[in-house]
Parts: sequence; structure tokens; C-alpha cells
Amino acid sequence: MSAALRIRPRGARPALEQTAAMSRRAVTALVRQPSLIVPSLVFPLFFAALGTSSFGRAISIPGFPEVDSFLDFALAGSIVQGILFGSIVSATALATDIETGFFDRLLAAPTSRVSILLGRLAGAMAYGAAQTVVFVLVLLPFGLTIKGGVIALIAMMVGGLLTALAVAAVMSTMALRTGSSEAVQGSFPLLFVILFFSSAFFPRQTMDGAYRWIATLNPISYLVEGFRSLTIDSASALAVAQTVLIPAALAIGGVRLALRSLRRRVAVT
Amino acid sequence: MAGFDVVTEADSVRRNIGVALQDAAIDPLMTGQELLRLQAVLYGLPRSEHKSRSDELLERVGLSSAGGRRVGTYSGGMRRRLDLALSLIHEPSVLFLDEPTTGLDPMSRMALWDEIRRLNGEGTTVLLTTQYLEEADQLADRVAIIDNGRIVREGAPEQLKAGVGSPTLFVRVASDQEAAASSVLARFGELRPTAEGMLGVGLGGGAGEVSSVVRALDEQGVAVDHLELSAPSLDDVFAEATGHRLEGAESPAEA
Repeated sequence: MSAALRIRPRGARPALEQTAAMSRRAVTALVRQPSLIVPSLVFPLFFAALGTSSFGRAISIPGFPEVDSFLDFALAGSIVQGILFGSIVSATALATDIETGFFDRLLAAPTSRVSILLGRLAGAMAYGAAQTVVFVLVLLPFGLTIKGGVIALIAMMVGGLLTALAVAAVMSTMALRTGSSEAVQGSFPLLFVILFFSSAFFPRQTMDGAYRWIATLNPISYLVEGFRSLTIDSASALAVAQTVLIPAALAIGGVRLALRSLRRRVAVT
Repeated sequence: MAGFDVVTEADSVRRNIGVALQDAAIDPLMTGQELLRLQAVLYGLPRSEHKSRSDELLERVGLSSAGGRRVGTYSGGMRRRLDLALSLIHEPSVLFLDEPTTGLDPMSRMALWDEIRRLNGEGTTVLLTTQYLEEADQLADRVAIIDNGRIVREGAPEQLKAGVGSPTLFVRVASDQEAAASSVLARFGELRPTAEGMLGVGLGGGAGEVSSVVRALDEQGVAVDHLELSAPSLDDVFAEATGHRLEGAESPAEA
């Protein structure tokens, strides 16, 4: 009984401390599972390398933006691709918690419900920002130039973080609805299609017909183009806004969905 | 529950109970140490106590040296002990243990039993579910037998065993003589359900009747392969209460 007296009443501070602890756990889990995160680092770099070596001369096609090398063009697509796939890992971890019963364990404790979700999202955000930095650092020795300089780099990190939040929130919604890690991982092809029907790998100006039409409707196109302007052009206000505000808007929608699913899941459990 | 209403004061209830769930996995990527500290945060223990409390609990369940290792490397017994430590972080006044020793080797089971006895001695109310009736007999002050979701017997183990009364005599005979043997045994008391190939009878007249049973069987020309007498156990209480043997219960030889 003495412990019960020592314990502080519930309030904002415990909820914050719990979210911090759950975030630490999420980041630790990512670091300790290199086999899960390595693909989301290696594949985008592979695509960038493949593109640069195969389509190096594509930059002279009419309509292709003016760039020094295809690598500069490819960076934005690689970042968004990496974050899209990397964020699945965090959402999968949330689904795994539900599958194994760790989620129930958290519910049996006076855990702030929101911290369970926010911890995972924080892990995804940290990883998204880290991925952005890694991609830039790895590609710099191969001739990558960031025309927008340091401001562009900071904007890209923030954009990467928010993109990760948006994707992880939507995927977490699926995790909370289904409670199945397979369902979350099964969305991989869907993400790939969304990415493919955007301007992630080629400029919209070089596309035709329906493909161009879909890419123009796809918000991912504008997200990628924000990152791309920062890389190949300058840190203009428009480019920064595109890079930061598009994922921010997607994140707000995604987090609201995820919170609603969390409430439903907790009520069910 | 512990003096709180489970509906309106759910959080106070959570702070006063500890739960170790059989199915609730422990995150294999975290170390025992990290899990205990996370638990300490979740229960709102003061930060200054996190380390000392974790170390104390690891020591208590015999995991001091394994505390820094990931749970994924733990054996089943170690996980159960860590699970128990996790459920104790906030010194709950009521502790729920769901089949804490299922699947454990005898040594680990003894160690857990000792710890549960010690907790109980310190004033913690322990609510334990188990498939092992021997475990219930050893640990519990009060036992409730649940069959198909209903409590069919409830009371102190001694009281329950006394309720069944008579000792059980188990007899094994050749299969073609089983019918003859049962009709002889039925003369001495009520036939009791038992393992396949065995016959069991509750000796209404007590253990002294064994020699009469053997003589009667002999007179009928029934050859006895195996004979044993068992004092009433919770297994008998269970069999009598539910009419069938408990899944996973030990054979009468060990009970």
C-alpha cells in the first residue's frame, strides 16, 4: 500500500514521461532490428544508383528539369521511397504488440493510452529524419549537390520527419484496426503503386496520358517535387512550403485517423 | 477491488493490482532492466526510484545477472520470473497470476512457488489460476474449481478434500477382465473416473478395506496387474465435482 501512496496522480506530466519512454522503446527497437530497417536504406540508394547509371542521359530529354546529374534529380524520390517503406516498420511493430499481447500488458498498467501510439509515431519520425540525412550523406561523395544549401537540408529533414509521421499514422491506423502485422506489411505493394504513379522517378513533364493525369492528382508528386526543388534549384519559400506543409497536412489527417482507431481498439480490448 | 470501484475508479484499481498474464508476451527486443524501468514509468514511480526498484526486483526473482540481456535470449522460466517482477513494480496489494508455472521445469516451478508464498506472507493477496491441482493444494488458502465457466466447488483445500472423504483404490487388470473387476469393485464403494486402462473405486470403509478388495477379486479369478491406494487429493475433488478428469492433470500415481 505504501507504493500506492508514493505514486503521483494522473496528469499531463506522467503522460509526457510515458510517451517519452515509449518513444525510447520504439527507437531502440528500430536500432536492434537492422534486418528490418536495412532494406529501407539500401533499396532507395540502389534505385538512385540504378537510375543514375541507366538514365544518366535522360536529363537531356526535352521537359526534363535542368540538373547537373541524374543523381540530383533522383535524391527526392529516394528519400520519399525510403521513408514510405521505413514507416511500415514502426506500424508493423505496433501491430506486433497487439498480436503478442504486449499491448494488453500496457493496457493493464495505468498507461496513458495515447502514449502507446505516439511512442511508435515518434520512433517513425526519428527514423524518417535520420533516413533523409543518411541518403544525403551517402550520395554526396558521388556528386550530389544540394543547391538550396543548409536551409534546404533542414527543410528536407523536417519534411522527412513529417512524411514519416503521416505514413506511419496511416499505417498505424491499419495496425490498430486489424491488429495484424501481416496486413500492415501487405500494404507494401500498395505503397509502391502510389509511389510509382507519382513523379518520384521521372518528371511529370516527360509523362503521357493517364499516367501523367494520375501523377498530377497524386499528392506524393508534389511532396517529391518539393524535395526536388530544394535539391536542384534553391531553398525558395515555395519549395520549403511544399516540402514541409504537404506532409504536415497529410500527418494531421493520418494522426486523427490513428487516434480514432486507437480509441476503438482500446474500447474493444 | 482493493476497496475501489472497478467501473468508476478503474485507474485506482490498476494502481493497486498487479497482473501477470499467461499469453501477454514480453517484448523480446528489450532487456529485463529496460522493461522494468518502462513499467516503473507507466506506474508513475518517482524517477529516483526506477533503478533501485528494478535492481531490487531482478535480484528478488533471481535475474540480477541476466537483467542486461535481451528478453529474447531468456528461457521460459526466466520470462515467467521477469513477468512476475514486472507485475510487482508498484507493490500491488492484489496480484493476479494466470497459470504462472505452466510449462516450467520443476526447479523453476519450485522457485516461483517460494516467491509466491513469500509475497503472500508479506500481505499480498494472490489470485492464481492453475491447471495443476497440486499447485493449488500447496499454495492456496482457498480454492475454487471452475468447470465450464462456473464455480463448482469452493473452500479451503483441506475442507474440499475432506468432502470427498474416502481414499481411492486404483486397480489395473487385463482388459478382458475389466467388466468382472468393476462389478467386484462396485461392491466396496462408488466407482470413480480414472485414467484409461485403470479402475478406481472410493473405499467407503477406508484404507482397511484394501485386503478385502484383493480377496474378492481373487475369488472372482481376476488377476491384478497393479494396485495402488491414494488419499483424497484435489484431483479427486475435481473428478467428483466435474465428472471428468482435468486436462493435463497428473496421473493418480503421482497425485
